[in-house]
Amino acid sequence: MNKMGSIINFTFKNKVRTKSFMITTLILVLLLSIGMNVPYLIKVFKGEDGAKEATQIGVVAEQGFRPTELLLAYTPPAETDAQVEFTVYTSADDAALKQGLEDEKIEGYLTFASEGSEGVPPVTYHSKDGDISDKVQSYLQTALQQVNTGLIVGDKLTESQVAAIFAPVSIGTEQLNADAAASGSEEGDAKPVINYVVVYVLLMLFFMSVMMTGNMIAAEITSEKSSRIMEILITSASPLTQMFGKVIGIFLVGLLQIAIISASIAVNLMLPHNSGILSDFNLDLGQLNASILVYGFILYILGYFLYALMYAAVGSIVSRTEDLGQAVMPVMMVGFVSFYLPLFSISNPDTLLVKVASFVPFTSSLSLLLRIGVGHVAFWEIMVSLAILLATTFVFGWLAAKIYRTGVLMYGKRPSIKEIRKAMKAYKI
Amino acid sequence: MEALHLEQVVKQYGDKTAVNGISLKVEQGEIYGLLGANGAGKTTTMRMVLGLIYPDEGRILYNGKPYSTELQHLMGYLPEERGLYPKVKVSDQIIYLARLRGMPASEADKSLRYWLDRFDVPEYYNKKIEELSKGNQQKMGFVAAVVHKPKILILDEAFSGLDPVNVELLKDTVREMRDQGTSILFSTHRMEHVEELCRNITILDRSNTVVQGDIREIKKGYPREAVVLRTAGEVNGLAEIAGVTAVERQERGYLLSISDIGAAQRILQLAMAQGEVEHFEIKEPTLNQIFIRAVGESNE
Repeated sequence: MNKMGSIINFTFKNKVRTKSFMITTLILVLLLSIGMNVPYLIKVFKGEDGAKEATQIGVVAEQGFRPTELLLAYTPPAETDAQVEFTVYTSADDAALKQGLEDEKIEGYLTFASEGSEGVPPVTYHSKDGDISDKVQSYLQTALQQVNTGLIVGDKLTESQVAAIFAPVSIGTEQLNADAAASGSEEGDAKPVINYVVVYVLLMLFFMSVMMTGNMIAAEITSEKSSRIMEILITSASPLTQMFGKVIGIFLVGLLQIAIISASIAVNLMLPHNSGILSDFNLDLGQLNASILVYGFILYILGYFLYALMYAAVGSIVSRTEDLGQAVMPVMMVGFVSFYLPLFSISNPDTLLVKVASFVPFTSSLSLLLRIGVGHVAFWEIMVSLAILLATTFVFGWLAAKIYRTGVLMYGKRPSIKEIRKAMKAYKI
Repeated sequence: MEALHLEQVVKQYGDKTAVNGISLKVEQGEIYGLLGANGAGKTTTMRMVLGLIYPDEGRILYNGKPYSTELQHLMGYLPEERGLYPKVKVSDQIIYLARLRGMPASEADKSLRYWLDRFDVPEYYNKKIEELSKGNQQKMGFVAAVVHKPKILILDEAFSGLDPVNVELLKDTVREMRDQGTSILFSTHRMEHVEELCRNITILDRSNTVVQGDIREIKKGYPREAVVLRTAGEVNGLAEIAGVTAVERQERGYLLSISDIGAAQRILQLAMAQGEVEHFEIKEPTLNQIFIRAVGESNE
């Protein structure tokens, strides 16, 4: 076991020190930090937060036009994003309006069609680029809707009654208790949004980590083989010790990377200006299903080992680094399926396909994570799936060690399956 | 008890026989030469000795016992292609390799420093392998093979790519290790190294053992066919002597090829009759000649 320790230590230290690892991790952290600060940055670019500048919009109408008066009297609800200020001009040829448009002080102006039936006549928005921002559009929509109601209702309703008409109806959500979910109730009890976010993040993180570390293992083994240091290694320590030493060493590298990324997410969330993000998106960490993280970790470890062993076996068959890309293709394909299947099913996690996938060892780690996070899954299903995954990992451990022992000494052309099988019988692990 | 004993070892790859029934014995503290043209089966034999691949027939004994994992700590190996991590520091990887061979890290560090001093390159301790020249990489490969003080050392083309100074340095080291009791199996196609270092050799040709045994015995088995003669003046009539097959005029004398040993005496008598003889020598065949004879003209 002392040798295993040396191998783990050597592999870990050398991989962490490589420039490619440092740069990749740095880029990921940077991208994440930028991504998480985008809402704040947008605010900054739009001017000092809080003191939002109002959009200037002209209204072309004659004096005493009733809809215009109502529009000017409109007071938006407190939490509206857009601030719009209206100025009335009697004609579209008004010099002040033209100057305002020219100087880009005024975004655009509204005209009303000649009076039609009841309510607000059709409105046209005129601007230089012919565009209207979503926020302004929705502001105008709400405002004009209210004007419309005002026109029709007239004085028949009090102001508070009108306000009550426009108050949004609130829809609350409540998660049914776990027992009800586990007993297979197919009620549409939506999971809290935070769970979707966490599952999404974990899927990305695990997939990326497994693919990256897997390729690292395969490349490492192939390069050891092509530099013939493998011959020295094989005569120094048993192939099984070596393979698992490498797989565990690189597992630690992957874990370190995940820890760094998680830490950077946490730090970004804790920045004072970002404290509002979670609540802005209606996310509540208290609603997080903590078992996702626990199961997620177990599934990550098992999934990692299964894939790492496959990559190790492939890496040991190839003798030149140039041929590696082609050889790992099948493993990558399986990996992509295991990732995209749950990713595309995230809004619909209870399909038969996902259910089946959560029992197939090559796809189960991520599919089961999806089901635990946002779908319905019984405890026994989790256990069975984990058992299958664990058993497969052990079988692959044995098989990969055999292939490894055989493959590392095969040079020249890529050996055929038959040759590998024959040679595998010859070597003890 | 031989440190290493191969008995009728056969290795086949598919329907091609890579090694056909090689037998050899290496005593403790002996340097054994394994010669042969490219593809003759030297590396395959070495790999079998290392336990990298298993013989299809025959057996290999180490101190009288078959292969076991304890041997991993007792063997050292320098593969033909150096075999080191290009991007890792010399100290990191050599200590790592020594630890894999069962040597504690502190002892490995001490041993590594000893060897770097020995080769007069202590500054390589913190260098990466890729920063070193090819010859120096070779030296580091050698250090990696001996750092854990192996009892059985296997050197595949250890001297290829080295300049004469370093070849001498490595030869001295190898001799020193032999004197400390290490058994060394050594392959090369440079005959002069073999003549200097080895007592016993095996010459392989296309998987078969063609010549084997003590170098002096082998040489005795080959007829002595060359005579070197240096005289003060000209010697006439050398070509007419019975048994002389060729006469080559050299800078300071003659090199004669003879077909029987009796001709040598006749050459000497003729030369003495014509003047003063400065030098007369019946040359042993060189290993190079023996090799070429054994392996055939097709190889160098």
